[in-house]
Amino acid sequence: MTSLDPPHQTPPQTPRQNTRLKQAFGRNAPLLVVIVLIIAMVIAGALMTDRFLTLRNFTNIVEQSTGLGLVSLGQTFAVLTAGIDLSVGSVMSLASTLASGLIDKDVAQAAWVIPMVLLLCALIGATNGLLIHQLGIHPLIVTLGTGTVLQGLTLLYALSPVGGMPRALEFVAYETVLGVPIGAAIMMLLFLAAAVFLGHTRAGRDIYAFGDDAEAARLVGINRARVLLTVYGFSGLMAGIAGVYLAIRFGVGQPYLGVNYTLSSITPVVVGGTMLSGGRGGVLGTLLGVFLVGVLNNLLNFLQVSTHFQLVAQGAIIIAAVSIYVDTRRSRT
Amino acid sequence: MTDADTPPRMRSDLVKSVLARHGVVLFLAGLLLIGGLLQPSFLGAGNLNNMLLQLAPLLLVVVGQTFVILSRGLDLSVASVMATAAVFTTLFSADDSAVVKIITLALLVGMGVGLVNGLLVTKRSVSPFLATLATAIMLQGIRFALTSGAPSGNIPPFFKTIGTGRMAGVPISVVIAIVVAVVFGIILHKMAYGRRLLIVGGNPMAGRLVGINPDRTILWAYVISGGLAALAGLTLAGFAGVVDNNVGRGFELDSIVAAVIGGVALSGGRGTIAGALSGAAILVAVFNLVLLVGAPIQFQIIIKGTVIILAAAFYVRRTIH
Repeated sequence: MTSLDPPHQTPPQTPRQNTRLKQAFGRNAPLLVVIVLIIAMVIAGALMTDRFLTLRNFTNIVEQSTGLGLVSLGQTFAVLTAGIDLSVGSVMSLASTLASGLIDKDVAQAAWVIPMVLLLCALIGATNGLLIHQLGIHPLIVTLGTGTVLQGLTLLYALSPVGGMPRALEFVAYETVLGVPIGAAIMMLLFLAAAVFLGHTRAGRDIYAFGDDAEAARLVGINRARVLLTVYGFSGLMAGIAGVYLAIRFGVGQPYLGVNYTLSSITPVVVGGTMLSGGRGGVLGTLLGVFLVGVLNNLLNFLQVSTHFQLVAQGAIIIAAVSIYVDTRRSRT
Repeated sequence: MTDADTPPRMRSDLVKSVLARHGVVLFLAGLLLIGGLLQPSFLGAGNLNNMLLQLAPLLLVVVGQTFVILSRGLDLSVASVMATAAVFTTLFSADDSAVVKIITLALLVGMGVGLVNGLLVTKRSVSPFLATLATAIMLQGIRFALTSGAPSGNIPPFFKTIGTGRMAGVPISVVIAIVVAVVFGIILHKMAYGRRLLIVGGNPMAGRLVGINPDRTILWAYVISGGLAALAGLTLAGFAGVVDNNVGRGFELDSIVAAVIGGVALSGGRGTIAGALSGAAILVAVFNLVLLVGAPIQFQIIIKGTVIILAAAFYVRRTIH
């Protein structure tokens, strides 16, 4: 399917002075598009109401975006390998329910429960990677299967919100530093760390190489199992962090917490320019995508249109984004 | 794959080939038998009727989903189309005066969504996953806005008859599903369009070389899927008797799972309608059995997830060997 297409790194262009500029632009076009869109929406919002361009509203947008940001960060890794993680929603539900149920408002318990829950989520993700590697099944099917099993297990543990998170942890969600809630600051630091990892370490570059062309990656000796375990393990961990974070913010874990996040987590990834066919894009685009969705929803709230139109807008953004960034290298995954 | 090496060399080859092609049907028969032994009421007339009624809408969706998967795609918009069609039944009049209008409108919207999906996939090279996800989300938003959150109004009796009524002892919805399955089975396995679809899905380059227009072939698969999803939505509305905005939730994934269990390859070009239908029947039978045995409903979900992975692993193993 892919062998007939030339590798995208060497476009057969006639050498011109502005070629390098063009290439740099081409690579970052999605980022520019998203930035321009965000700016346009901010201007529109500022013109509409005085309350839009305020520190308070900024804090609000960032806070609302934190959960989605965390899941989407992990999802980006999976998508970079030409995969997808449809278990993230269930992992979130599991993490929030389990943490809340075991901690039951006791801070002393939180100290060991939260690390254990996060470890469990990373292991669940790694299991996804292992199954994909060992069975050779499409990640979509594997993670759909494990996600379904996990949702069942979560419901076996609790059918309704259970236990509670300690008040002492609420500062994570609500305390702010320079207008940025601590949880959101942690999320952005994680994005930064992920960007450094992907761009400047061997393991990170292996992920791109694997996503670009799995067969070529194998030939140059990249360990397939290690890439898949890393990527899906990380995605599981991020979903776990998102679940625990939201449990802290809402005060209690919910067994259906993540249902809507599974597919929502893909929107910022593709809007940010990461191709579902793998190997291209990055976490910076995803972060911008998360803010785009956040600003858009905030704007629609101010417009007082029914929340239903948020769905329409989200669908429209996906279609617009994926139609603009046509993947010339390969089509139809 | 199996066609290439079936010259009658050995008996075991023949057995293998029968297993490969009809393994899923045999598995279904085995499942029904074991289920009957575990719980005699499983095969009782009442329960069979119950299972068939549940199966009918899924069958309709699976047929369309199979066409799309054969084209190397996926259709995540079927559930949203189903819900939209179901909502349409309540929008006009409580009696049967608007039935024709409702059916026409539902089918047009379903096929229209399919057309948009197909155009995005073929003309814009959008991945089927995203294209159909996006149209599903948009359609959902439009539906919610249209009904301001919760549809009100009654379902015309005509649809209730379709969803729950019987014809010579067989539920009408099942008759419809079987007719649809046979018609589309013939289209897929006996007609030129089906051959084109299998070639394009199996190897788009080869399809182009023998002069097939891949875009048009793929486009039709999505249109068929959208239309059948609308039909399934109308049937399900009649079966359930009440309509909310989430009728059909879960059918998008269930229909994909059913097709995969039935041996339809996600890589395109390989699969049969009979296999996909057996996959759907297995799914419904397993759920039903879990409940009949008295296990908590959570086990339905857990077993479903396990079956998805096991079935996919089963087929992957076989293609490698």
